[in-house]
Amino acid sequence: MTSREPILVIKDLHVAVEDKQILKGVNLTINKGEVHALMGRNGSGKSTLGYTLMGHPRYHITQGKVLFKGKDLSEMTADERARAGMYLAFQYPVAIPGVSVSNFLRASVKAVRGQDVPVKEFRKELKEHLTKLGVKEDFLSRYVNDGFSGGEKKRLEILQMALMKPQMALLDETDSGLDIDALKTVSAGITALAGPEMGILLITHYQRILNYVTPQFVHVMQDGQIVLSGSGELAHKLEAEGYDFVTKEPAVATQSRT
Amino acid sequence: MNSDVHTIARETIEDLALKQKTPSWTKDLRLASWEAYLQTPFPTTRDENWRRTVIESLDLSTLKALEFAPSTSGADKSFPACFQSVIKHFSQANSTLSGICYQGNGRPGYIELSDEAKSKGVIFCDIETALANHADLLQPYLAKRNASKENGKFALLTGALFNCGLFLYVPKNVELKSPFVSGIGISTCANTSGDFGGAIFPRLIVVAEPESNVSLVHLTGSADTAGDNDCRSLPASLSASMVDVFVSDGANVSFVELSQFAQNVYAIGTVHNEVARDGKFTAVNVALGGKQVKSDIYTHLQAQGAASEILGIVLGSHDEHYSFNTIQEHNAPDTKSDINFRVALKDNASSVYQGVIKVDKCAQKTDAYQSNKNLLLGAGAKADSIPRLEILADDVKCSHGATVGPVDPEQLFYLASRGLPEKIAEELIVLGFFKKVLDKLTVDGAADWLVEAVSQKIDDSGYCA
Ligand SMILES: Nc1ncnc2c1ncn2[C@@H]1O[C@H](COP(=O)(O)OP(=O)(O)O)[C@@H](O)[C@H]1O
Ligand SMILES: [Mg+2]
Repeated sequence: MTSREPILVIKDLHVAVEDKQILKGVNLTINKGEVHALMGRNGSGKSTLGYTLMGHPRYHITQGKVLFKGKDLSEMTADERARAGMYLAFQYPVAIPGVSVSNFLRASVKAVRGQDVPVKEFRKELKEHLTKLGVKEDFLSRYVNDGFSGGEKKRLEILQMALMKPQMALLDETDSGLDIDALKTVSAGITALAGPEMGILLITHYQRILNYVTPQFVHVMQDGQIVLSGSGELAHKLEAEGYDFVTKEPAVATQSRT
Repeated sequence: MNSDVHTIARETIEDLALKQKTPSWTKDLRLASWEAYLQTPFPTTRDENWRRTVIESLDLSTLKALEFAPSTSGADKSFPACFQSVIKHFSQANSTLSGICYQGNGRPGYIELSDEAKSKGVIFCDIETALANHADLLQPYLAKRNASKENGKFALLTGALFNCGLFLYVPKNVELKSPFVSGIGISTCANTSGDFGGAIFPRLIVVAEPESNVSLVHLTGSADTAGDNDCRSLPASLSASMVDVFVSDGANVSFVELSQFAQNVYAIGTVHNEVARDGKFTAVNVALGGKQVKSDIYTHLQAQGAASEILGIVLGSHDEHYSFNTIQEHNAPDTKSDINFRVALKDNASSVYQGVIKVDKCAQKTDAYQSNKNLLLGAGAKADSIPRLEILADDVKCSHGATVGPVDPEQLFYLASRGLPEKIAEELIVLGFFKKVLDKLTVDGAADWLVEAVSQKIDDSGYCA
C-alpha cells in the first residue's frame, strides 16, 4: 500500500521547557503516504511534540533525536525546516497585526518555493484554494489572524498548507472550535492535500475529525509518552470509552509499522 | 555668501531682512526672536525636555546658514529621487495635485499651483515669496509664536533666521481633495565646505479658514543621502524648524510629514497646531533619520468640538537618537485628542517619548488618548516612554498606555514556521506594527508612500540613495 519509506523518525525524544521535562521518551515513525492520529488528554504533551518538531526555540531536546527525511532536525532552524518541507498548523495561530494575509502568503510561498511566483499566477492559485475552503476574497486584505474567528484561523492554516505543499504536516487540533460545516470543509482540504509522498500527523483530542480524515494509525499520549498505539479502530474505542481505559492497560511501546 | 550662524550679529539679520523684498516689520520680528534667543540658555541634557538628546556636542560656530532661492514656476523639475517618489505616489492616487513646492539649497526653488487651487484663492508658496506678496495676511500668524521663549533656543533661532519654508493659506469654505506636496531638501554631505556644516531654518505656516478642507504632504531631509554611514564623519549640520498650523472653525486639516536626515544632522523641530471650534486636525509625523532628532509637538484645542489625531512613526538605526515630546492641551470643553506614537529601533538607536496631556479646569468632557509603543530590534537599542497628566477638570476621559520590548518571539516563530528567515520575519512584523497606525490616514497615497519609505530604511537601502 504505502512505500514504507520513513519521512519522520522520532527516537526516544525527551523535551524540556525552561527546565520542566514535558516529553519523556517519545518513539514514532511516520512513513510517506501515512496519516497518523495523535490523541490524548489536554496537557499530555501533544502540542509540545508539534512545537519541538517545528523547531520552537523554547523547546529543548534533552535526549533522543528526530530524523526528517533522514536528516537530524536538531541542526536546523524553524525556517530551514519549513523550507525543507515541514509544516505545523498551529493549535493557536498567532496574529500579525498590520501584515495582510496576501503579503504574508506571498512572502512565505516565495521563501518555501525559493522563488517569486508571478503575481497573476499566484492570484489564480490563491483564488482556487479560497473557493475550496469557502472563504471570501476580502480575507486576503485582512491582517493575519488579527480578529479572526476560530474557523477563519483554522482555514488560514489549511490554506497555507495548500500553498506550501509540505512533505510532513503536523496538524495541531485543526478541528477544534469548528462547527460541523467548517469541520467538513477543513477535513476535505486536508484529504485533498494528502498524497503518497506526504506524511500527516493529526493531533486531536476528539475523535470527531477522524470521521472525515481516516488515519491508518492512532497513538495515545499521556504524560509525555505514547502509551498506546493501534489502527484506526482505536479512535472509536477511545470515543466510546474515553481515555480512562488507557491508563489501565500496560504501555505498549510499539512502532506504528507493527 | 553663506553666513556663520554663531557670529550672527544684529546686522546680519538686518541684512537678511533687507535683502528680501519684505516690509520692515519682518526685521523687527526677526530681531525680537534673536534677542530672545540670546537670553535663552543653551539646553543641556539635564533639562527635562532634552533627556538623552546629546546637544552639547553641537557647536554652532561650525555652522553656516545655507541659501535658498525663491521658488518660481517653470524652474528645474529634476528633483532628488526621494521627492520624485513623493510626487509619483500622490499623483498616482490623485488625478492632479493641488500644488507642488520644492526648495533645496543652491538650486532654484520650484512652485506649481493647480488651476483649481488658484481659482479658489489658495495661497501656496515659499515663505520669502509670502513675505514679499502676502505680508499683511501672513503677519499675525507668523508673529504669534515667532519670539515665544517657551519654544526654546532653537525655535528662536529659526524665528530670527528662517531661510526657507512655506505658507499655505486656504480661504473660507474651500475644499481641496488632492494634497499639496512640499519638500525641503538640503545637501549636507556635498555642501559642507571644509570644517563647516550647513544650517537650515524652515518656517512653515498653514492657515485653514473656517469650513475649509485641505491636506499637506511635507518631506524634509538630506537630499543627497539617507540613513547611511557615509555622513557621520562630516561636520555636524542643523535643521531647526518651526511649524504653526491654524485650523479655524469647522476646518479640517491633514498634515503628513516625513523627515529623513543624514547622520551628521541635528534635526530639531517645534510644532504648534491650533484647533478652533469643531475643527479637526490630523497629522502623521514620520522620522527616519538624523543624528539627533527632536520634535516638540503642541496641540492646542481652543474651542468646543475641536479634535486632533496625531500619529507618529519613528524608525531609528545606527546611533541615531529620537526625542518626541507631545503636548495635548485641552483648553475648552468637549474636545478630543488622540496620540499614537510607534517607534522601532535597530542597532544602537535610542528614543525618548514624553507625552503630556493637559486639561484645563474649564475643559469638561475632554476625551484624551495617548499611546506609545516601542519595538527594540537592535541589541543596543533603548527606549523610554514618559507619560504625564495634568488634569484640572473633573469630568474627563483620559487614558494612556506604553509598551517597550522586543518583537514577540511567538510572532517570529509563526513566521519562521512558514519559511521566513528571522530578518525578513522581523521586517514584516515591524512594517505591520507601523501599518496599523498608517491605516488611520485618509490622504490618498500617503500610507503606500510611507510604507515604502519605511521598508527601504528597514533593509538599510536608504530612501533617497
Ligand atoms: N511554553 C511552555 N511553558 C511552560 N509549560 C509548558 C509550555 N508548553 C507546554 N507546557 C506544559 O507542558 C504540558 C504539555 O502541554 P501541551 O504540549 O500543550 O499539551 P497538549 O497539547 O497535549 O494539551 C502541560 O503541562 C503544559 O503546561
Ligand atoms: Mg495542545
